[in-house]
Amino acid sequence: MTDLRVTICGVELKNPVIPASGAFGFGREFHELYDISVLGAVCTKGLTPEPRLGNPVPRIAESSGVILNAVGLQNPGVEHFIEHDLAWLKGKTRVIANVAGRDVEDYGKICARLDGLVDFIELNISCPNVKCGGMALGVRPESVENVTRVAKSALKSTPLIVKLSPNAESVSANARAAEQGGADCVSLVNTFTGMAIDIERRRPVLANNTGGVSGAGIKPIAVRMVYEVSRAVKIPVIGMGGIACAEDAVEFLMAGASAVQVGTQNFTDALACPKIIEGLAAWCESHGVEKVSDLVGTVKMN
Amino acid sequence: MREIIATVLENKKIAEETYSLTFACDEAVKVRAGQFVMVGINGFPLRRPIAVCKAEGERVTVCYRLKGEGTRRLASSYSRGEKLSVLLPLGNGFYVGEKEKRVALVGGGVGIFPLVSVIRAYAESKEIYSYMGFRNKAAICMQFEMQRGKELTIATDDGSVGYRGTSVQAFMENIDRVKPDVVLSCGPTPMLRALKSAMSGRNIPTYVSLEERMGCGIGACLVCVCDLTDGKHARVCKDGPVFEIGEVIL
Repeated sequence: MTDLRVTICGVELKNPVIPASGAFGFGREFHELYDISVLGAVCTKGLTPEPRLGNPVPRIAESSGVILNAVGLQNPGVEHFIEHDLAWLKGKTRVIANVAGRDVEDYGKICARLDGLVDFIELNISCPNVKCGGMALGVRPESVENVTRVAKSALKSTPLIVKLSPNAESVSANARAAEQGGADCVSLVNTFTGMAIDIERRRPVLANNTGGVSGAGIKPIAVRMVYEVSRAVKIPVIGMGGIACAEDAVEFLMAGASAVQVGTQNFTDALACPKIIEGLAAWCESHGVEKVSDLVGTVKMN
Repeated sequence: MREIIATVLENKKIAEETYSLTFACDEAVKVRAGQFVMVGINGFPLRRPIAVCKAEGERVTVCYRLKGEGTRRLASSYSRGEKLSVLLPLGNGFYVGEKEKRVALVGGGVGIFPLVSVIRAYAESKEIYSYMGFRNKAAICMQFEMQRGKELTIATDDGSVGYRGTSVQAFMENIDRVKPDVVLSCGPTPMLRALKSAMSGRNIPTYVSLEERMGCGIGACLVCVCDLTDGKHARVCKDGPVFEIGEVIL
């Protein structure tokens, strides 16, 4: 029996597989399909201090091997989450609250509100689909460090993950800036900004014109970025970007991720996460790996 | 709601650019009229939401129009015996109350298919008056199924068959004679908009089934929202696809 447990920032997860923010709501809908307590953790839909309506539709498009989304942080607000979903979700597995705001103060406010209530806070400074906040704070090292510092100072007990944008001059420089600002962990990659055009209408498919590209097609870029970042910082890294099966997860672990998140594949296959967990155990078993954490960062360069 | 690896029994063209796909699930499934299925197509990251036309025991039939690469792949690669990943049943579906005896159906384009499931469910217990709109003669299908109601009016844009005009126009010419207790509709948004303005002030409960590009299909991702008149958003896949017409902004 392979030991699938991983420990990140002193918090033990039963396995390293986590549904990514935005693909999974607060877990209730997927719980109708399978028991979500099998998951290592659940990363919530991006939360903001106030409820948000998000962008106009269409909010999703498809291209070869990828999707584009521009939901625009629609969410019921952090208070609604605390009141209606948090206790239920905590009864199932570890909870990562993904948070965003309009400005730096918003980030501090929402972190203070969730401190001590969740297992991790993931700072979303990489959403490409909102005008203020989101990615605007996540492209330059100085602003990454600043928002991280504000968020960290609002937290007494909950470890802070900073989710990095791939739409940056240097993701590694931003990772180091997050570490400098006090982040306990970084996660990457969020989506790549892209566009799809309906050639019959000569208009972008998405009402927002551009959206975040995710899915299998971005995986090699994400693996490279996770590899580079894991060597640029000392804090743990959570990897994601196009993971569709257990072998993909192994790739990210070898690249340097301590755990992985799965987004788009939940749409392709609603049972993706439990299948990846089972597949991971089977892969380790057949390769004589006793602890899944032994795989982390073991890739050897040619 | 379950994810099922079904087996394709038949996938055939029934009208111009329109296909009927019947698959067998591993066991009998309960699907309400107006519910839908998310169909997985190999090589495409997103499943396609398709309304259920017929569900009997473990056999389910959905109909779709060729719209893009995904539906073309579905039509060309999934013949009898192929495995098909489906998520079902999804959405709220249509509901006809005890007291509602006279039911009017107003459909257009692929919107006729979820209404066919209403005819199947209520043909025995209700008086069903159907107004179904098609582009032209070549697009007409499911006539046999649609005739199981009390009355069927087919409308075509070019007048090649039946009423010349839209199904909404055909319905409004008959509404005072038919006196429906409830109106159920599905079709392109301009059609639903026309129905909404035609029905305003009539005080007849009217329900519409909406179509939107979807992500997960189960209510988690908030991709397929519609605007409600109270300023909020609803999820088409989970809170709908059927809404009271006055409750949504079309």
